[in-house]
Amino acid sequence: MTALATSVPPRARASRRDRRMTLTAWLFATPFVILFAVFMAGPIVASFAMSFTDLTTRDLETPFNVDIVGFDNYIRLFQDPRFTRSLINTFTFTLVGVPLTMALALLVALALDKGIHRFRTVYRVGYYAPVVTSIVAIAIVWRFILQPDGLLNGFLAWFGIQGPNWLESTTWALPSLIMMAVWRNIGTLMVIFLAGLQSVPREHHEAAMVDGANVFQRFRAITIPALRPTILFAAVITGIGFLQFFEEPYVMTQGGPLDATLSTAMYTYDQFGFGNYAYASAASYVLFIVIVALALIQFRLLGRKD
Amino acid sequence: MNRTLTRRSSRWAAAGAVALVGTLVLAGCGRTDGGGSAGPEAGDSVDDSPATGTVDVWAMGNEGEVLGELAAQFEEENPDVTINVTAVPWESAHDRIATAIAGGETPDISMLGTTWVGEFAATGAFEPTPEGLVDESSFFEGSWDTTIVDEVAYGVPWYVDTRVLYYRTDLAEAAGVEPPATWDELKTFTEGLQTAGAKWGLSLPPGGFDSWQNVTPLAWQQGGEILNEDGTEFTLDSPEWQEAFAYYASFFEEGISEPVRLEGGEIEQKFINGEVGAFYSGPYHVSLLLDQGGEEFADKFGVAMVPGEESRTSFTGGGNLAVFEDTENRDASWKFVRWLSQPETQVQWYDISTDLPSVQSAWDDPVFSDDPYLSVFGEQLQDSKAPPAIPTWAQVSAVIDQELEKVTRGDATVDEALESVQQQATSIGTGQ
Repeated sequence: MTALATSVPPRARASRRDRRMTLTAWLFATPFVILFAVFMAGPIVASFAMSFTDLTTRDLETPFNVDIVGFDNYIRLFQDPRFTRSLINTFTFTLVGVPLTMALALLVALALDKGIHRFRTVYRVGYYAPVVTSIVAIAIVWRFILQPDGLLNGFLAWFGIQGPNWLESTTWALPSLIMMAVWRNIGTLMVIFLAGLQSVPREHHEAAMVDGANVFQRFRAITIPALRPTILFAAVITGIGFLQFFEEPYVMTQGGPLDATLSTAMYTYDQFGFGNYAYASAASYVLFIVIVALALIQFRLLGRKD
Repeated sequence: MNRTLTRRSSRWAAAGAVALVGTLVLAGCGRTDGGGSAGPEAGDSVDDSPATGTVDVWAMGNEGEVLGELAAQFEEENPDVTINVTAVPWESAHDRIATAIAGGETPDISMLGTTWVGEFAATGAFEPTPEGLVDESSFFEGSWDTTIVDEVAYGVPWYVDTRVLYYRTDLAEAAGVEPPATWDELKTFTEGLQTAGAKWGLSLPPGGFDSWQNVTPLAWQQGGEILNEDGTEFTLDSPEWQEAFAYYASFFEEGISEPVRLEGGEIEQKFINGEVGAFYSGPYHVSLLLDQGGEEFADKFGVAMVPGEESRTSFTGGGNLAVFEDTENRDASWKFVRWLSQPETQVQWYDISTDLPSVQSAWDDPVFSDDPYLSVFGEQLQDSKAPPAIPTWAQVSAVIDQELEKVTRGDATVDEALESVQQQATSIGTGQ
């Protein structure tokens, strides 16, 4: 063995090891690649192709009867006021929800990183609990909070404010769901931000303190730039999550009242249920394109290196 | 759980069905026969010899859990047959059937929500009910109608479900009102319940998912219909529908009904604590209320036929049994279906599952005729109707849900709403 090893020139030995490493890597990756191709890429491509046909339930037995209809499904989507409404709702939900979640999560993370030492674990668990709780359990609790004579209105009544019937009001239903989603998502982001904060070198802060920078100056000049990759990551995953807005309206409002909380994912889901498979595929591709576009914009805005 | 399952079965798996069909289309394989080659109006008759072979049955929810008990008896009577029951959760049932049809991997028999028949029959996946298999007139008419698509029967009604009026007897007594028979009486009755202490006289959904089940009977009660005579056009803007919408909305305008959708579980609670005086529901609420209200609550509520105008028509749903065209054991499958629709079997089935019989003569059994609650359902079933079995019904009914909500919320007038319903329904089409 030793003789053989020494007889091979160093360079060749390295490249053989490289090749073997690559082979091993592929070996490990193969199950995923196969599963991905069969169960993800296949359906993704099939559903894209399908969005240009008129497939519905009645064609299930006879898929050869489907016609290719070009962009008809896409045109019909944008002519349907319910679909455009669902897009507006989804954007509103995302544009309000994501910054709110990120700001609050960062605040909590900062507090947990620096301030509160004694019950840190308790707080971390507390903020993270909603993330691991079933949406159905959450829905029950929030329905209780948001009822006309529920907790929230009871609280507002102390200040002499007559609260609305949150989930039944076309004005307040969407804000209610945003509130719930923000509360539910803070935990995940908080953990990510905490990890990011702990990687900011202490020396930078110490140096800035020597120079006389106060807390806010240090936060702006040191913490935020150091956190930039974390913030980008957080913004992208939260943005995608919020654009796929589905569970909250599904369990709380069913998209109502009067489509005030109808999201694009829910609209798509309903169309699948009606058996309009091709049309629903088109709707899901519109959402897909929106998500990709948003992720690209975020990379452009937040990912630049200064 | 709402037994009258309509469109909101879990649909994530639908994406799977779609992907499968898409793959078939792309790969250029798939079944070439099918829907187009529709056979005669009714299938060949099935003889009376014992059933043999293996029969695979899909049944949903509670039915799927307990059908095995009943099937064991059939196996005893037909020693050479094996019935395999697969319990399918309601949430995934719709997609599972769609996937099975798309992949050509159907069982022999499946239970179906009554509102799915039109949609799936349109694919050509079902066998027409054989000539002379059962006596059509032995079933409740509204129930038999749920099997008919384009004048051909697919399958047989298995159990039925209909809506009646649940009301607080103690409050009605205190107010000195009798269960109502007409629309006017319903107003007086529910106002009476309010004066006797109920916050809301009648609980109605102010629109949204499945509220069509509450408003459609109001149109039927005056002779209104969903489709015209030959089933080609929607008649959802007729005067009867306008009356129905206006009457429905008046409960909200007059403060008899709370403009809030009550989710499962909330209605029982509010009825038991006296906040809600009356509501419409199916048979499953009897046992729910007896369980949750405790012993003493049994005397505090009753059920009555729905009030009406020209008729006291209610909404009917339930479950049907259909045999797939791809079955490899056609005769045994139909024999099992026939056996399940015998009056004696249906009485036993009630014992096992608490599902109400679809065969009228089963109701002569004292189990039903002597029960103060069940007898009302039996009576109501004589005057109950289901929507036409058209493939697009889930979609059309969602439009009714939507526009009705606009009216109850004061966002649209009755005329505007129905004009929109009619126009949208027409553009969706009857799918035939």
